[in-house]
Parts: sequence; structure tokens; C-alpha cells
Amino acid sequence: MSAPGLQGLRPWIIQRITAVYVALCIVYFGLVVLIENPLNQADWSAWVAQPYNNVAIGLFIIAVLWHAWIGVRDIVLDYVPNVIGRLIVLTAVASVLLGSGLWGLKALFMVAIK
Amino acid sequence: MSVSDNRPFFLNLLKIHLPVTGFVSILHRISGMLMFLAIPFTVYLLDLSLQDDQGFAQASGILQQPIVQLLTLVLLWSLIHHLLAGIRFLLIDFEIGLEKQQAILFSWAVFIIQAILLLLLIVGVYL
Repeated sequence: MSAPGLQGLRPWIIQRITAVYVALCIVYFGLVVLIENPLNQADWSAWVAQPYNNVAIGLFIIAVLWHAWIGVRDIVLDYVPNVIGRLIVLTAVASVLLGSGLWGLKALFMVAIK
Repeated sequence: MSVSDNRPFFLNLLKIHLPVTGFVSILHRISGMLMFLAIPFTVYLLDLSLQDDQGFAQASGILQQPIVQLLTLVLLWSLIHHLLAGIRFLLIDFEIGLEKQQAILFSWAVFIIQAILLLLLIVGVYL
């Protein structure tokens, strides 16, 4: 029943650490939108380009993707019973997450060096 | 898998009568899944909006389409529910809200607070 590396304490604790970081970021981003209202391109990209924000958003992207990986993987393990099916679905999920992550981090990097 | 195949295998949600705590739990999964599906599209909008004025205008245009606004609303609900239910689950890790009465109370709190937050957001954005 148990697959090594897919279950246990490590993903459980990572799920909680990333959850707390993501939640704090969402409160911070929400406050920025409420207070600073960066609604034009110049303000928006300048805000994202600030070093602290840029790193925080980069970590945010990594945390969200890691959190999503663990969560979706748990759902797949519950609802896809056979090994081949799991392998196919999990490979697709991992590809989407990795692709999105690299894309997002590249966008952040391009703004930071502009 | 082969240890005991007599155990009930019962994942069809339509056949299960869920208590309110169960609704918080399954909606946590559903909202998480919805947000997972939205990730590539969100990254696309982020990239577009950061490129230049034209990209930013294009991204704003996409976000103003009615169907996209509807999807955004669903995703906002997902985020709020996932966040509040997540806080409940973190509290459970610290053994807060484990008693049956409290569990039911906390689960209702998740739904009530999320309804208030969603209403405030809609009012804030559209008025």
C-alpha cells in the first residue's frame, strides 16, 4: 500500500510550512493591492522588480507549486487505483507544475534585470 | 492492496451523507484542484502583465471578459475557502477544535466567514 517517498511525515510537514508562507504572502499582496493600488504597468512592474518583493514572489511561486504537487498527488493516489494510471497522471501534473514554475520565475527574473 | 479486499472502498461522494465537517474537507480538495488547474493561466497573465504596456493592457482586457470574471469569482471563492479550511486543519494539528461540538462549530465558522469575505470582496471590487 505505501509507496516510499510518497507518504509520511516529510510531505506532511512541507505541506504545512508552504501553506503558512503562502497564506502570509496572500495577506501581504492583498494589503499592497488595497493600499498602494499598483494599477498601471509602470507601478506594477516596478513593485515586482523591487528585490525583496521579487524574491518573496519567487519563493511564493515555489511554495504554491510544491504545495499543489503534494495536494494533487494525494488526490491522484486516492482516485487513480492502478500504477500505470498514476504514473501517467502524476507525470502530467509534474510537467504542468514544473513548466509553470520555470515560466513564472523567468518572468520575475526578466523584470528584475530590466 | 492485496492484504484485505473485503474492506469497503467507498469514494463516491454522491452516495455519502456528509456532516458539515466533511463538506469543509471535500471542498478543501475541490477548491485546491480548481486552483491547481488555474496555475498555468495565472502564470500566463503574470508574464503578460509584466512585459510591457501592451501586454498589461492585453491582460487587463482578458480579465474584464465576463466568462473570465466568472472564473475569477470561482477562484476567489476557492482561495478563501481553501485558506479558511486550511487554518481549521492547522488548528486541528494543534489539537484545537477536535471535540465534536467544536468541530461542527468551527466548520460552520469556515462557511460563514467565507461568505462574509466573498461578499465584501465582490462589493469592494464592483462598487
